[in-house]
Amino acid sequence: MGSGWRRVLLLAMGVLLIGGSAMQAAFAQEASPADDGEKVTFTWGSSGEPSSLNPMSGYLALDFYFWTASYHLLTDFDQNLGAEPGLATSIDVSDDGMTYTYHLRDDIVWSDGIPLTADDVAFTLNLYKDNHAYLPQNYLTMIDGDVRVVDESTIEFDSIHPTSLYSGEVAYMYDYILPKHVYEDIEKPKQFENVPNVGSGPFIISEYEVGQFVRMVRNPEWTGEEPYVDEIVTRLYKNEDALAEALRQGEVDFVYLTSANIYNSLQNETGINTVAGTIPSFSEIGMNTGSAYQEPMGDFVPHGDGHEALTDVRVRQAIRMAINSEELTDRVLLGYGIPGTTIVPPVSVKGARWEPTGDDLITWDIPGANALLDEAGYLDADGDGVREMPGGGEPLEFRYYTRTSEQTSVDAAPFVSEWLDQIGIKTNVEAISSGRLGDIINEGTYELFSWGWIPDPDPDSALSWFTCDQRPPDGKTYGNNDSYYCNPEYDEMYDAQRAATDPAERWEIVHEMQRMYYEDSAYAIMWYDPTFQAYRADRWDPESFRPQPIDPPGDLLESWGGPSDVWLTLRPVGAGGGGGSAETRGISAWVWIAIAVGVVLIVAAIVLGRRRRVSDEDTA
Amino acid sequence: MRRYFLGKVLQAFLTLVFVLLFNFVLFRVMPGDPATLLLRGTSNFNPDTVEQVRADLGLDKPLPQQFLTYVADTATLNFGESFFLRGRPAREVIVDRIGPTLLLVGTSTIVSAIVGLIIGIYGGWRRGSAFDVGSLGFTLFVYAMPEFWFGMLVLMAFGAGVGPFPALFPTGGYDTPAADLTGFAHAIDVLNHMVMPFFVLTVAYLGEYAIIMRSSLLDILGDDFVQTARAKGVREKQVLWQHAVPNALLPTLTLTLLSLGYVFSGAITVEWVFSWPGLGWLTVQAVEAKDFALLQGLFLLFSVAVIVANVVADLLYAYLDPRVRAA
Repeated sequence: MGSGWRRVLLLAMGVLLIGGSAMQAAFAQEASPADDGEKVTFTWGSSGEPSSLNPMSGYLALDFYFWTASYHLLTDFDQNLGAEPGLATSIDVSDDGMTYTYHLRDDIVWSDGIPLTADDVAFTLNLYKDNHAYLPQNYLTMIDGDVRVVDESTIEFDSIHPTSLYSGEVAYMYDYILPKHVYEDIEKPKQFENVPNVGSGPFIISEYEVGQFVRMVRNPEWTGEEPYVDEIVTRLYKNEDALAEALRQGEVDFVYLTSANIYNSLQNETGINTVAGTIPSFSEIGMNTGSAYQEPMGDFVPHGDGHEALTDVRVRQAIRMAINSEELTDRVLLGYGIPGTTIVPPVSVKGARWEPTGDDLITWDIPGANALLDEAGYLDADGDGVREMPGGGEPLEFRYYTRTSEQTSVDAAPFVSEWLDQIGIKTNVEAISSGRLGDIINEGTYELFSWGWIPDPDPDSALSWFTCDQRPPDGKTYGNNDSYYCNPEYDEMYDAQRAATDPAERWEIVHEMQRMYYEDSAYAIMWYDPTFQAYRADRWDPESFRPQPIDPPGDLLESWGGPSDVWLTLRPVGAGGGGGSAETRGISAWVWIAIAVGVVLIVAAIVLGRRRRVSDEDTA
Repeated sequence: MRRYFLGKVLQAFLTLVFVLLFNFVLFRVMPGDPATLLLRGTSNFNPDTVEQVRADLGLDKPLPQQFLTYVADTATLNFGESFFLRGRPAREVIVDRIGPTLLLVGTSTIVSAIVGLIIGIYGGWRRGSAFDVGSLGFTLFVYAMPEFWFGMLVLMAFGAGVGPFPALFPTGGYDTPAADLTGFAHAIDVLNHMVMPFFVLTVAYLGEYAIIMRSSLLDILGDDFVQTARAKGVREKQVLWQHAVPNALLPTLTLTLLSLGYVFSGAITVEWVFSWPGLGWLTVQAVEAKDFALLQGLFLLFSVAVIVANVVADLLYAYLDPRVRAA
């Protein structure tokens, strides 16, 4: 080996050593907190992707976090999901209960400096109605004709029947008010991307990189309480392990998780607080109550081949009795979540939920379920462990579909299957894609399935899914009512609760509907889903979050409302600075340069060494 | 040669036409209705909304009409709007991700090919040596290793810091959001984000090249012309680099070019682990949501890339190996 190439190699090693030392120094530097007085950025992470940042076409829970910081609702949600004045300061209802006059705030200015007036409100509501905006138009179906502008700060509209839903006593009208001067010139408003947006809340959307992040900055025209935060950045991760690591490393300040295991791994970490909240969401075992056996009605024609036994409410009740919701939350959700009962979750607008107690509560009772089936005539005549239809007909052998995309749905199946086995019902479990299951439900070719819903805080949406006209009508077309539940009495009550003008009277009807659906057991609701949250308590004041609802603790970032107070209250520890995580991580540019030079020198040394050897061989 | 060239191009064109027709049918026979898949389980919607979404997405039209729209869209490279990313043209979504995909998968494919070939050459040349045994074990291991598993380990080691490993690099993404970096500083930031996924992909890919190169070289080394060269007194290094390696490279050339064709398809699992905004995971999302607009754009891109890579491989083969031309 010649001395020249040895020198080059030594030089290369020297550069790498220096680079290594610089790497350590750079790393130490990156780990130091941001200086006081710097821009305060709240960075939170999610493992999803917004469907749209335009309130006309977005439909995912994630989308709402951008709207709660950017837009106003007419009637806002308070921290316990009750109603509080939003853009509308007061609402007058005519004596016949069919004309509503909304008096609006006159001190709100859009982020581009144009005042927000009744014109914007009327335009937005009519825009939603006329263009069938996906979610917002659902709250406007009882409005008769157009919304009218009375004066700069007043709007008025009529309803097709009296109702309490527009009187401001509940936060029902979940319609974010949009700027007319932006949307009126757009040819296809539902296709409008809405980035950057013109908003009326404390923050506006400034940037969205698909698959990477959404950035919100302060609304320069915001005249309300000044936020502590300068920017809100939502980082979009694809897997939750990385999300949890990002929180540990301080790349994000706050995360939402769905995995109980990953959530558990964050507990007891220094500087990190964890909160397992609950959200309006449930997961159910749905039963085909008789798609093939029900009478034709309207568009509905009988279809499918579900087992006849499930048309019998006693069989469905026995199944409900055999499913141990407590054990499912313990074993599948690792102790999080709430055992399920009715279709209106515990996190709903105040007063809406009916809590089954005493004799109404269907508790886990395998002997009771067996006795019920015996009494109804479903006996195991041939002694093979599976009951047959009364009189010795078809055995109670059910298809039971779970969804591959929902791990908890798959995990629950062995438990449910085992319990049903204990009451003489055999199940053939199959995990399939959501698309395939959707087709199977429309066809009515199933007995049991596992899926879930995220209802609105107001119970109207959840109750609406189970009316007769919501059944998949013909084997091909979609319908919300995936258990084919049809009870004219329930339908009547649904209309009645919409038409009730007294909220107390409405809640009474709503409670009765829940009781009826629970007793009829078209769904066996397994649990109400948890939402796992974790944040850097060493950076953000735990008192500054706004759990919604407060008890049981729900979403710390108050995702129902507009604008949500959390964006004003959220503050770094030692208010004024120090929080945020917009700084970069990684090794510094100098280290990269040193590495690059080192690699070049090593390659050069090897090449020179080879040439030298070839030359030596040639002269030898 | 000209006839050969035209034949290959025509063949590629016909393949592309077939793929495009096939794609239209394939995605539409997948179970599930896109509108229902998008909305089911979300808060407040009704069958009217589903119908409206279907109309907005153009799914309410008869299939022949949808097919004509599909052909026209494909011809003009205007694939319509993404279904699950409302408000974004599918073309824009795809174009945005080509850069990060090529940067990550392209560089790691090239580096892994170079490193893999060198390992294969030295292993094959010194067959049975400690290096050969060691490198063969290593390459077989990395070839068989699931990328996502290795990715998670690397993420834990260098993203989170475990034991002696320092937490050096960002845990995911393409760059630091809202850091407002530009120019060189941004390039360094991207580099820091890319280190871990690049390392994982390079290690995961190189095994394949090394194994094929090694076995190809071993075949060639047994050929008569190599023995003849040695008998003529040609130096061993020359036998390797001037006689054996150029011939042994032919099979690996196909592999390398085809791999480059697949660069556009991204690296699904590694993109998932490191939240890299590539085309691979986008494809998974598009398939899950039955996003026809995105799928037709993506599959056109993938098909063209693979077909072009094939044609280039065929033509290079013909150039490098006259026997192919003659056949």
